[in-house]
Amino acid sequence: MTDTAAPTLKVTARSPFQLYFDGEAQVVSGINKVGKFDILPGHASFFSVINPDSEVTIGTDKEDTHIKVSNGIVTAKDDEVLLFLDI
Amino acid sequence: MRRPNAILQETQEIITVQDLTSVFESLAMNQIAKIKNKVELSKDFFNLLWSKYSLLRVDPESRLTHRGGKSGDKSVYVVISAEAGLSGDIDLRLIETVLKDYDPKTTDIIVLGSHGAQQLRQRGINFVRYFRVPESENYIDVSPVINSIAPYKNAKVYYEEYVSIGVQDIKTIDLIQTIKTMSESAEEQESVISERDTIFEPSLDEIAEIMETAMMSMAFSQVILESTLAQDASRFNAMSIAKKRASEIVGQYTMEYNRSKRAQSDRQMREVITSLKRKQRMHQHAG
Repeated sequence: MTDTAAPTLKVTARSPFQLYFDGEAQVVSGINKVGKFDILPGHASFFSVINPDSEVTIGTDKEDTHIKVSNGIVTAKDDEVLLFLDI
Repeated sequence: MRRPNAILQETQEIITVQDLTSVFESLAMNQIAKIKNKVELSKDFFNLLWSKYSLLRVDPESRLTHRGGKSGDKSVYVVISAEAGLSGDIDLRLIETVLKDYDPKTTDIIVLGSHGAQQLRQRGINFVRYFRVPESENYIDVSPVINSIAPYKNAKVYYEEYVSIGVQDIKTIDLIQTIKTMSESAEEQESVISERDTIFEPSLDEIAEIMETAMMSMAFSQVILESTLAQDASRFNAMSIAKKRASEIVGQYTMEYNRSKRAQSDRQMREVITSLKRKQRMHQHAG
């Protein structure tokens, strides 16, 4: 029998002075100009501006982390997600 | 010679001042440690953001130097001073440095901090905008300042730099140049990303513009942090000097109090002896 662990994202969410999240997650959700977005494992390369005064949610198998952001940028490539918040 | 009670009362007042300066001194020390940590975190964040920005298919040099020119060919000096007094002589040195370079025909002044604004007014120097120094606890919102310098051809920032706890210097930077310098230390690790292989929302151009403004704001925030650090160090030094002076005065007053007490007791002793002698004389006359 082979080990079939669900794929995850490596997520880092930080502002200039604070690290909000650094670890494995299943999903990253937020809102941009186009609408609501969800980044799941295997997502295409993605570069986006997060809507001002919105919320970003990082979902793990244990709990969700909700971060209120004044503004920010999200990048996703090869299952690595970087969130630059409050810039 | 003053009375011992009067000296004692003044000594108590000086001891209170000494205690207060000790409190200010330790507050400044705590603040210095906190801000130094923030400066490091902020530089690290900037490098990470730059590493992503530099992967976009845009020419950073031409974009960053292509600025609006609503204020004609005028330049702007942005002066970052302290929000309040009790910061030693550093703001005075800052204003003197600005005025050495200042030519009202070619340059406007934007000032941050009420202490600097007050110093400029006292010298009859006009400034076009005044801002309070943004709070540096969590998120520094410098967008109003960034927006107000956008129309100028050049923006030179005058700020106070922390060298060590005992030394603070006055520095100047060009914001655009600073971004370029800061970016030189950031490493490029990945290949360029373009619209062919990446989804940009809203668009590559808009994202690049937002990142540029963010990086300029961050560079400016770092200058504000650096200034706050220098002001706290200067405040620490001023408080240390005041504390030392208060200790010296307490020492002098204690000595004066002891002398005065001794003089008072000598005087009382003399009065007792004189009184005894007078009584002896009266006894002899009566005898």
